[in-house]
Amino acid sequence: MTSTNPSALAGLRIVELAEGVAGEFCGKLLSDFGAEVIKIERPCGSPVRRLSPFGRGEAPENSALFAYANTSKRSVVLDLETEAGRSVLEKLLLRADAVVDDHEPGWLARYGIDPAGIPESHPGLVLCSITPFGQDAGETQRHAEDLNVFHASGWGYHTPSGNARGRTPLKGAGRFLASYEAAFDAALCMTAALMDREAGGPGRFIDVSAHRVLYSRLDYVLGQMIIGDMDVSEAHTALDLGGPAAVLPCRDGFVYVWLSDETMWCELRRMIGDAPWMDEDFPPNWLQLACTTDRVNRTRRHLSEWLATQDKHAVSEEAQKRGVMIVPVNNPEDLMASPQYRFREYFHRLEHPVLGEALYPTVPYRMSATPPMPSQPAPLLGGDTQAVVSELGGQA
Amino acid sequence: MTTTMPAQTMRARGGPLQGVRVVELTKVWAGPYTGKLLAFLGAEVIRVESRSALDSSRWFSEDIDNAPGYQAVNPQKLSVQLDTRTPEGRELMLKLLASADVFIENLRPGAIKRAGLGYEEVRKVNPGLVYVSIGMYGNDGPLAYQSGYAPCFAALGGVSAMVGYEGETPQGMNIRYGDSTTGTCAAFAAVTALRHKRRTGEGQFIDVSAVEALSTMIGDTIMAHAVNGSATPCDGNRHAEMAPHGAYPSRNGEWISIAVNSDQAWKSLARLIGGDALVGDSRFADLPSRQRNLGELERIVEEWTRSRDASELVTSLQSEGIAAAKSLNTIDLVADPDLWGSGYFHSVLDVKGEQRPIMGPSWYMTEPARLMRGSPRLGEDNDYVLGDILGISPSERARLAADGVTV
Repeated sequence: MTSTNPSALAGLRIVELAEGVAGEFCGKLLSDFGAEVIKIERPCGSPVRRLSPFGRGEAPENSALFAYANTSKRSVVLDLETEAGRSVLEKLLLRADAVVDDHEPGWLARYGIDPAGIPESHPGLVLCSITPFGQDAGETQRHAEDLNVFHASGWGYHTPSGNARGRTPLKGAGRFLASYEAAFDAALCMTAALMDREAGGPGRFIDVSAHRVLYSRLDYVLGQMIIGDMDVSEAHTALDLGGPAAVLPCRDGFVYVWLSDETMWCELRRMIGDAPWMDEDFPPNWLQLACTTDRVNRTRRHLSEWLATQDKHAVSEEAQKRGVMIVPVNNPEDLMASPQYRFREYFHRLEHPVLGEALYPTVPYRMSATPPMPSQPAPLLGGDTQAVVSELGGQA
Repeated sequence: MTTTMPAQTMRARGGPLQGVRVVELTKVWAGPYTGKLLAFLGAEVIRVESRSALDSSRWFSEDIDNAPGYQAVNPQKLSVQLDTRTPEGRELMLKLLASADVFIENLRPGAIKRAGLGYEEVRKVNPGLVYVSIGMYGNDGPLAYQSGYAPCFAALGGVSAMVGYEGETPQGMNIRYGDSTTGTCAAFAAVTALRHKRRTGEGQFIDVSAVEALSTMIGDTIMAHAVNGSATPCDGNRHAEMAPHGAYPSRNGEWISIAVNSDQAWKSLARLIGGDALVGDSRFADLPSRQRNLGELERIVEEWTRSRDASELVTSLQSEGIAAAKSLNTIDLVADPDLWGSGYFHSVLDVKGEQRPIMGPSWYMTEPARLMRGSPRLGEDNDYVLGDILGISPSERARLAADGVTV
């Protein structure tokens, strides 16, 4: 699909050494904005190519995860264990504006890109590293997956909310939440640094730790706790707000109900038709001033009985029109059918030579002048090796 | 009152966005978080505030300048008082926006247009402005009228449905999840637009949907459905590529997370738990076997972790190359020695002119912005913004204050 819109990051050359979801997704955020991202792959391909979900076709081209995280890139296979491979990489680095990597600390230096020596070895280069615990990770942080980052940053212990009984904490949504979050911080810093460099600023080394990213995402709460303005404890509910807000079952799925003040209580009452239970020991302002466990439980129970006769989209729409905060608990199927997502064109159709045609989720911002858009599907393994090497004036 | 850190002094804050001016009309968390990230990169971020429409997060304290949550998400920013609902206040706001590079707003749906500060109005005074609007569902579309808080974004975006115990009603993420994530997506989009503006002079309208921001954090799950129609019911702590994977109880009510990402890692764990007998147990030999026998596998791991100390477990697991970390409660979080030892927390001047620690950015970078002060007092930078930027004389500023424009 061609676009007449200019691209926000056109003309920027980025070498992607990353081989995990964090770095690859960061590269995608930049490439979908028009940056030229050259993905360096080992001869057997990025390990992400071996991760599910799989569509049709065979490895290494059937991973829908890889297809999602690598749109609009070029793939160059280099064996960095050989002199020849490292020599091509060095040529690519000489003409690159930025590098994104997500290997463990020390990996870059092994291939001649020592972050500490970057200003001398590659002046002007913006080098970004994304790791679970940063370049200064301690001995007991060396091996980490997204799950471990989720737990080390406080999200794990406190997920889900309302876990007063201390049940097993949950992993959070999906497999790569920490990686996606870190990718956004990395892409933000890289873009800012690249823009500064174009205005005469220096190259930079950027060290993004997924752990610090997720910790920072709790700033509203942790920022209060570190100075003693909010109590800390061993409770799994220490980050919670209390109250009856919860996911509740309805006839065809689940809805999320939010209730926090007298106005909402009155609107809800009107909506469900002055149910008798709402007069049983519920002062009008109970949500703010008398929010007991008993009232919370009774509210949830009665609401669940009412919701059992309701459909999630219909009841939510009715509630929203009345100013009651009920929303459907959507699943991917709902999102693909969502009139709002369609209106905003959140999904973008792409034809991948092996996986075939699919609707890809895109990004959460609509931009009037430089809309980001996947310009092409993820590259086949080494699909651009010949072309890129010849651009460098050499032979593959 | 004293000015703790003159705005003029802060011009030499450094960082890649030094020289960029951001104006924000934001509330609570998502919008302020966008501004905070830009401030942490060196931008001059000016909060436009008014007693007549105060950010509700300032009210969670008797002293609006010392409200803890507000202070946590607004360090390094400036504050100017302008009641944009008065005709003069709106005019001054437009003048300020004419001098800005970026504008951020996250008011309720339609509120900014009703205030006469919608994009079409503002672009007339500054066609180069990057105008960032953040809403639950974005600005336009059939559901744009709806509103909600962060857990609503998570429910709508597909996140909540994936978090829960097997076979039960979904639980969703922690209630705090969603605002800061949305704010980050907005900040990234804003900086890409800044580059376009630098190259062409052209500004633009950026319409951020918080619901879509959360969907983006489960993009691969949505992609899986798009490619092969797969459903994603709650599955506790299961992981398609790892087993064991989850949180395990340890001594004294503590928890640790363990993620076994290869057969080799399993062998190492099995050796720690049960020696050669467990290493050779065919029920757990490879990932498919471990997934098939997950119940028994989890029981064995739990039995082993339950009586042990969390930190000692992490040390021994890490030394064997197994991904593990303690699951931190809020006591652990505020005392995290790695963060305190690594320069993550910054000491800045607060509204009383005293040093206080703030959480710094998630990144370390060479040539960073210097973080100098905490969140601003309401109107702390009136003189700088109204006087130095807008060129209003002291007597005229006194009149504006008396007339209720700069309150």
